[in-house]
Amino acid sequence: MLLSAIVFLPLAGALVSALLPKERAGAARWIAAAVTAVDLALVAWLLLGFDVAGGMQFIENREWITQAGIQYHLGVDGISLSMLLLSALLSLIAVIASWKQETKLGAYFAMLMLLEVGMNGVFLALDFVLFYVFWELVLVPMYFLIGTWGGPRREYASIKFFLYTLFGSVFMLVGIIALYLQGGTFDITALTGMGFPATFQWWVFAAFFLGFAVKVPVFPLHTWLPDAHVEAPTAASVLLAGIMLKMGTYGFIRIALPILPNAAEQWSGFIAALAVISIVYGAALAFAQTDLKKLVAYSSVSHMGFVMLGIASLTPEGINGAIAVMFSHGVVTGMLFLLVGMVYERTHTRVIEDVSGLSVQVPVAAGLLAFASFASLGLPGLSGFVGEFLSLLGAWKSAIPAAWVVVAAVGVLLAAAYTLRMVQRVVLGTPSKAVEGISDLSVREVVLLVPLVALTLGVGIYWDSLLRYVDPAVRATLALMGGS
Amino acid sequence: MGYIIAIPLLPAIAFAIMAPLSNKARNRAVPVSVAAVVIALGLSVAAFLAVWPGGHGEALYHSSATFATIGTVKLAAGILLDPISATMVVVVTLVGAAVQIYSIGYMHRDRRIGWYYAALSLFTAAMLLLVLSDNFLQLYMAWEVMGLCSYLLIGFWHEQEGPRKASIKAFLTTRVGDVGFALGLAVMYVTAGSFDFSVVLHDFAWAPGAATAVALLLLFGAMGKSAQVPLHVWLPDAMAGPTPASALIHAATMVAAGVFLVARALPIFEASGVALTVTMLVGVTTALVGGLLASVQHDIKKVLAYSTISQLGYMFIALGAGGLVAGFYHLVTHAFFKSLLFLGAGVIIHAAHTQDMREMGGLAKKMPVTTVTFTIGSLALAGIFPFSGFWSKDEILTVLWHGEHYIVFALALATAFVTAFYVARMWFRVFTGPEQTSGLKEAHLEMLVPMGVLAAVTTVIGFGSPYFAEFLGHDGEWPAAAIALTSTAVAGLGLALGWWAYGRRSQVLNTRPLKIRAGWVYSALSQKLYFDLTYDYFIVGGYTRLAEALSGFDRTVVDGIVNGSAAIWRTASAVGESIDRVVIDGFVNGTATLVRALGARVRRIQTGRVQSYQGLMLAALVLLMLWFVVKGA
Repeated sequence: MLLSAIVFLPLAGALVSALLPKERAGAARWIAAAVTAVDLALVAWLLLGFDVAGGMQFIENREWITQAGIQYHLGVDGISLSMLLLSALLSLIAVIASWKQETKLGAYFAMLMLLEVGMNGVFLALDFVLFYVFWELVLVPMYFLIGTWGGPRREYASIKFFLYTLFGSVFMLVGIIALYLQGGTFDITALTGMGFPATFQWWVFAAFFLGFAVKVPVFPLHTWLPDAHVEAPTAASVLLAGIMLKMGTYGFIRIALPILPNAAEQWSGFIAALAVISIVYGAALAFAQTDLKKLVAYSSVSHMGFVMLGIASLTPEGINGAIAVMFSHGVVTGMLFLLVGMVYERTHTRVIEDVSGLSVQVPVAAGLLAFASFASLGLPGLSGFVGEFLSLLGAWKSAIPAAWVVVAAVGVLLAAAYTLRMVQRVVLGTPSKAVEGISDLSVREVVLLVPLVALTLGVGIYWDSLLRYVDPAVRATLALMGGS
Repeated sequence: MGYIIAIPLLPAIAFAIMAPLSNKARNRAVPVSVAAVVIALGLSVAAFLAVWPGGHGEALYHSSATFATIGTVKLAAGILLDPISATMVVVVTLVGAAVQIYSIGYMHRDRRIGWYYAALSLFTAAMLLLVLSDNFLQLYMAWEVMGLCSYLLIGFWHEQEGPRKASIKAFLTTRVGDVGFALGLAVMYVTAGSFDFSVVLHDFAWAPGAATAVALLLLFGAMGKSAQVPLHVWLPDAMAGPTPASALIHAATMVAAGVFLVARALPIFEASGVALTVTMLVGVTTALVGGLLASVQHDIKKVLAYSTISQLGYMFIALGAGGLVAGFYHLVTHAFFKSLLFLGAGVIIHAAHTQDMREMGGLAKKMPVTTVTFTIGSLALAGIFPFSGFWSKDEILTVLWHGEHYIVFALALATAFVTAFYVARMWFRVFTGPEQTSGLKEAHLEMLVPMGVLAAVTTVIGFGSPYFAEFLGHDGEWPAAAIALTSTAVAGLGLALGWWAYGRRSQVLNTRPLKIRAGWVYSALSQKLYFDLTYDYFIVGGYTRLAEALSGFDRTVVDGIVNGSAAIWRTASAVGESIDRVVIDGFVNGTATLVRALGARVRRIQTGRVQSYQGLMLAALVLLMLWFVVKGA
């Protein structure tokens, strides 16, 4: 029941919040804060009762749509636990970051909570239909968050986001149906290790690849991301980059690898190539951006490339690394979007040229922005390094050509280039006109960021704080693939 | 010996205390940082004495703990106290303490002095963690954190553009090397299955090919950190930071970390053979290039910076010849005399209000203590008996001679000549000739005492030379007379030439003679041999242009396809709609109505109205559910 509660508690909050009368809409803030906080507490409770060596646990498996063999099947292992924790934490942070939101409060917070339902559900679902429902459910609130509370080009961005990801998930649906027809079940765990014929695997993998790759996003399917980020309100950007991108890579690890192991091996070279291109291409584009949010958006393409590289390696190092990058990117990019939003609220600009000298005018904001930047560029001792380094180790260990791994490693240098150039212009120097007279972070804003700082340091220094949960699940996944 | 862990931990704690404070509170917390490094110095000396007299080549203390588990592999962080690390902790904490005490005077007017000390503390912690590492991964991690501190301190006065640019250049240039280091770690891990010294340096039998790959990649990392040609360009610019920070980071310790890395990894280099030769070539090139470039600088800090590059090259020569003791010993002596010179330069710059040596002169009369200590440092750098540089340089030359590397031996002697020349050029310009600044006066005591301590160490440490070799587990000898006399003669000639050009007249000379007699040589040298120009144009400029081109490509082509297909779909559905109408005109029936309804739906997608999406979405979900239910039934 714990998992169901974690998934559906925010749904109750969303309903209450949406039905609030207009004059009471202000209460939505408190409802959302309470609901997401309780949800995070439930995840913490789950964490306490979690057995790192216990495989899939807290399982709920009930008949749902009996005629079709569809089960209501939830479960959690170390991989999904790390994502669930991220989802619950960032949801709470997104709610508090939206405290100053003023328009259509009831609907706004309902959307945030509905989003959490979908995200939590995706990471816990073990039945394909359930998985697909949650997967598509996520699109709706995000679409409204961008389309209703977004920037000037919100309509274009939200439709592009919606149609692009819907386009991908249609292929995923085809894959799901194909698996059902071949395997006779929608149960994800039951479908693993079935040993489907190689050609069949190849085609189904292709379908899933399109569905997941759009979400990640992998080059060249990434162009919806910068537009969505630029127009999205801060909280939506945090959840979009922090959680939703991970749904794609989570899909590869949870579904594509264990169910289609032969195809995964056949596809790994292609995926690795796209991953390396994403790393370098994303970094180069981030370097060329003049808008802070676009810079962070393209840096996400680059970082997610490391996730894909780790997955493509099909090694314990690489997949542990992929999940570590997913976790760290969620935390660090969350911080970056929050800080960019906080700066934007004060300066009303995101143009890098117009913002400078933050460290002189607002040292706390500047210090945290510099901290997040160094975490993002993979400084050892902070969380970003853990996954990128392990991904590289895994890639080197695997059959991926050495030259590609070298190019990926150069991506780490390029990350330093775009990040430090941003820091040099925005954080350092003397205050520009837009920065003069602005106020430093409020207590609420600092409190938002502190848990993320703590996680960045904690995971970065003591890797096992994350890997002790992840590694056993990774080994189990690889064992399901046939012990590679 | 559990107290060893406190050596890196104390400065780390000092940083952790200071970093979150407000600027005001942090400025008051400076004593925390100083106390941490002074106590760490005490503990380091105790650790050194516990290891002394060494000689057995084994670690005295080793302790480690797992911080990451991946399958069957456990990654551990550890503390390893052996003669090398025991020496290094003393060097780092002694120079660190000297610099921190000196900075009380040097930086007392700065309104962000607290942040300066916090960064120094973090640096000291990282460097100590690096030298005490028992594995290459931890060493790499500490190495990168030092890079951060270097970045922070170079850009300390970031309101000015110079330091800002220099800091980013330093971080990126060293990170070019770090890409090699990281890949070297990957090869090491995949080949030997571990990062631990005990496995990688002792138990594992390296095949020459793998050893060459790992060694060259590690060497590339070392070249970035230790500013070896062609990755040396960041170090002269790094002088934009506060001078005492330059003394600690960009002269004594961090830049020597590359040498330390190669020294630690020497068994892998030896298993390769080729890698040793490459190391020697890199070293000898850098030693000469650095020395020549130092000879044309006018900024006193840049003379010292190029000199550091050159001396680090000297250490690489030694290691490339397999001379662990010689290379490591030069690292130690250089740390002391070069930080001494930098601290002296700081006093000189404060007094003369300029870094340009052409605007200095006559400082000897007014600043006796600084003059004496700076002279000791200068003579050590030039390699004059009995100062420390003489002994360590001599050991390097001996290793080269015995190893029959005669060409490199000759080039190393040439470097010694050039070194003595630029030392004399600097010394005579600064201390002799007419005074050009009014109000010259000696520095405060908190600045003079650290310089005195370093000068004393520089004067006496050389006599420990053979004992030091034995401490490291090698045979110790006094220098051979022939080599000692040769090197002294060469250094003497260099000093004499420097005196002839810059010291023999009362007038301070400019560089016109060299400019007139060898115009192209001079212009090549004054353009830093075109390294910076080339990098700026081809690498930095090239990447910027490429990034912009890719950005255009992304907008027009990659996104163009997306928007284009949307436009095509839009047109197609509009066409479809009109066909619908024709069809409807012809066959008014239920199917056509359905098509029209769908057409209307499609058209509403393009309107982007939120409600239509909501409807579409819900409809899709419901249809899906229905389909499953029907299918199941």
